[in-house]
Amino acid sequence: MAQQHPAVKLTNLLKPQVGSIAAEIEREGQTLFGGSNNLLSGEEIQDFSVEFLNLLVSLLSSKDPYDDSSPTFHALEIFFHSLSRQIMERGGRVEDLVRYTQFLHRLFSETINDDAKMTVKDARELLLFLSGVFNELTLAIFRAYLEEKEKTIFAQESELREVATPITEIWDGVLTLPIIGTLDSNRTMLVMESLLNRIARDRSRAVVMDLTGVKNIDSQVSHHLIQMVRAVQLMGSDAILTGIRPEIARALTSLNIDLGDVTTRASLSDGLKEAFRRMNIHVSTHSA
Amino acid sequence: MDRMGFHFTPVGGGSALLEPMAGLDIAQAERLIEEIIRRIQEGKICRLYYDLSNFPVIDQGYFTWLNRLAGACKATNTRMICVNMQPTAAFALASLANITPQFETALGLEESGKD
Repeated sequence: MAQQHPAVKLTNLLKPQVGSIAAEIEREGQTLFGGSNNLLSGEEIQDFSVEFLNLLVSLLSSKDPYDDSSPTFHALEIFFHSLSRQIMERGGRVEDLVRYTQFLHRLFSETINDDAKMTVKDARELLLFLSGVFNELTLAIFRAYLEEKEKTIFAQESELREVATPITEIWDGVLTLPIIGTLDSNRTMLVMESLLNRIARDRSRAVVMDLTGVKNIDSQVSHHLIQMVRAVQLMGSDAILTGIRPEIARALTSLNIDLGDVTTRASLSDGLKEAFRRMNIHVSTHSA
Repeated sequence: MDRMGFHFTPVGGGSALLEPMAGLDIAQAERLIEEIIRRIQEGKICRLYYDLSNFPVIDQGYFTWLNRLAGACKATNTRMICVNMQPTAAFALASLANITPQFETALGLEESGKD
């Protein structure tokens, strides 16, 4: 009689117990993700427990269950990856997902250990096989976790970008850009990119850059500032620098920065007046 | 398309619009400048708008060409105004060290003010 493949033996072993195994998987799923945790509904837990068992049986019945590049293995990985993402998107913890995987691993290992007919050699081979499968599934969880984290970081970065470059159209064709904090290369790039795109989009004739919030300046920062002014002028807009504090003015002279070609005004309101003047806009109080 | 690689269109009020095409070869700067200045003088143009809307990036070579043309325009009492510069081009150009444009810039023809 031909020797049966250990995977076939495991399938045969699982078949009569499918109901009880599915119930145990569901119970643990309920404990970790259902009930007060409110991450998955009872129906969802039931569905994924059945689907997981089906996918595992498909893998065991495939041509080569040990091949981790086979479509059946890939399907199991994708299933776990999507389940992990779904749970984490709903606020689930990666620790619970790993614990759940460990539980599944233990459950199947115990099923093998409890079978009296299983030879030591087959049991050893199957336990190794299960270790391989569940290690890959744990990796799928971590991949999902990292993707989720990257998504969060990306969203935070984009939010930070928005906050760091509060470009406001204060009047038709007049933009204001208050610069607060330090202007390093990365930030200059971001500010410049947003500003130039905004000029092109709104066809803005003047940009008032207010430096009241800039505490100190070095040669690199001043270089970035000049670069920004130059780019605005090249676009065909007027750049007006305002709010240069005494210590910044002193630093600019000691750094030999020539602001000869740059229009400067003492305060933001003076800068706006200058922008309006250039655009032939007259603002006056209306007396009744 | 003009065989020199640009369109030269008088737009009224002593102004003309120069739209460079893909075939414009700035390596032939001498020949191009002569041709453009000839048309400026024929049309009694005092303001030349150079359309940069098709240039996502302007490198040092193209900047030198623009400056040379602007210098030649100045010599014939014509203002050269670059219009529709793309944000990416302005960004790249501003990053180049020691650039002193000989030309003026405006957002577009409508915004240039024609003063």
